[in-house]
Amino acid sequence: MEALNAFSVSLQAVWNDSGFSAFTMGNGIMILVGLLLLYMAFVKEFEPLLLGPIAFGCILANFPNTGFFGEEMNVMKAINYGITYEIFPPLIFLGIGAMTDFSPLLARPSTLLLGAAAQVGVFVALGGAMLVGFDVHEAAAIGIIGGADGPTSIYLSTKLAPHLLGAIAVAAYSYMSLVPLIQPPIMKLMTSQAEREIVMTELREVTKFERVVFPIVSTIFISLLLPPIAALLGCLMLGNLFRESGVTDRLSDTAQNALINIVTIFLGTGTGMTMSAESFLRTDTLLIIGLGLVAFMGGTAGGLLFGKIMCKMTGGAINPLIGSAGVSAVPMAARVSQLVGMKSKPGNYLLMHAMGPNVAGVIGTAVAAGTMLAMLK
Amino acid sequence: MEHSPVTTNPLIIMMINMTVVFIVLISLIYLIKLIHFLDPTKKPAKPQVTDEEEPLVAVKSEPAPAPPPVIEEGIKPEVIASISAAITAYGFAGQVKAVRIVNHEGTAWRASAKFNTLQRK
Repeated sequence: MEALNAFSVSLQAVWNDSGFSAFTMGNGIMILVGLLLLYMAFVKEFEPLLLGPIAFGCILANFPNTGFFGEEMNVMKAINYGITYEIFPPLIFLGIGAMTDFSPLLARPSTLLLGAAAQVGVFVALGGAMLVGFDVHEAAAIGIIGGADGPTSIYLSTKLAPHLLGAIAVAAYSYMSLVPLIQPPIMKLMTSQAEREIVMTELREVTKFERVVFPIVSTIFISLLLPPIAALLGCLMLGNLFRESGVTDRLSDTAQNALINIVTIFLGTGTGMTMSAESFLRTDTLLIIGLGLVAFMGGTAGGLLFGKIMCKMTGGAINPLIGSAGVSAVPMAARVSQLVGMKSKPGNYLLMHAMGPNVAGVIGTAVAAGTMLAMLK
Repeated sequence: MEHSPVTTNPLIIMMINMTVVFIVLISLIYLIKLIHFLDPTKKPAKPQVTDEEEPLVAVKSEPAPAPPPVIEEGIKPEVIASISAAITAYGFAGQVKAVRIVNHEGTAWRASAKFNTLQRK
């Protein structure tokens, strides 16, 4: 009898400690959301490197009684610290800097204006978010989705609206992966066939001196002006300096391969871990996803509009299609400019021209984030 | 240090932010131009021929001996010899005028764009 009693109590304890005893309908729905995201990442190949870990993190976050965010330290809690204390986004920027060639931007610096104009989407979404009832901090974090820059979106929402981090990250990365679907209709709608056929002249040669001095000077200038984004911009430029110096190949290689891959796993999983049922299953999430799309479309339209202005001002020397690359999404947005240009006129290679505004978009989004942090934090 | 927002009017926030973004990026344009201006390694711009220069007068002279080929640094003599032999084998008996490595900045980008396009076909 005693053995039977012990057996029953033990079974009861196992059941009470199991996830099944505290499993809610919300957890079930979120696990399904995680599976859907996994499908999008691995089958449809929508940003699989990031959406994959986010999706799996989402599934993990919805198992009850795991103690991931309890008192005791564990690996998931440690990963979450990397997001809470804004460690991962700058490290991702270090890798992006090491992977990015700034030469097209240095050869034609006027394309920085396209990167600035594309930020209009950020502020359109900010206004829209405030109209539907989000407070100014939440609206700023939502608006930055329009910059199409995942790390900056995570960085800003961690600082201004941490409770919206999961929804903002999912919206940002989903739309980034949908750039080839979202942008082309807007590009065709806003440009004429003649404008799309413009062949741009070859860029001038950029010397090593320029490529090395630019990251140093721009870091000093922007960090002094907007200290809240010194970590983001500093890491971006440090990575680029590794690439361009010519004497730090090993560091450049680590930053653009091993380091960025490791941090991507942690950033994605950590972001997914914020998608618990209680924080994600709200009408706010649907609003954020809708506003994110508005932000993205607004940014694309802003860049194209300024591209058309530059086209007129330069007597047709600038193909307005490169304006849409002003939203960050490096190098996807530049590739879309190239593809739409090629469809309009085979042999019209716009990729290197579009990389200028694309890189400018990364800097522009970081500057927009820094300005909002300075104003609102 | 945290403080309350200066304003919560979305239009004012938008105006201020867009202004700051444009000012910062325009400043970067001038910084890039300044770096280019101060660059001690840049190649001097080719002097432009003006109308004021003395007109060239055709002078009859003996045909000058063919100039030695302009060889870019880093190309081995064996490579030059192979190229010259190949050209002669194809029936072009003329002397090689110049040999240079085609590997400038734009080419990698162009190649990347072409590769990108081929991949998507």
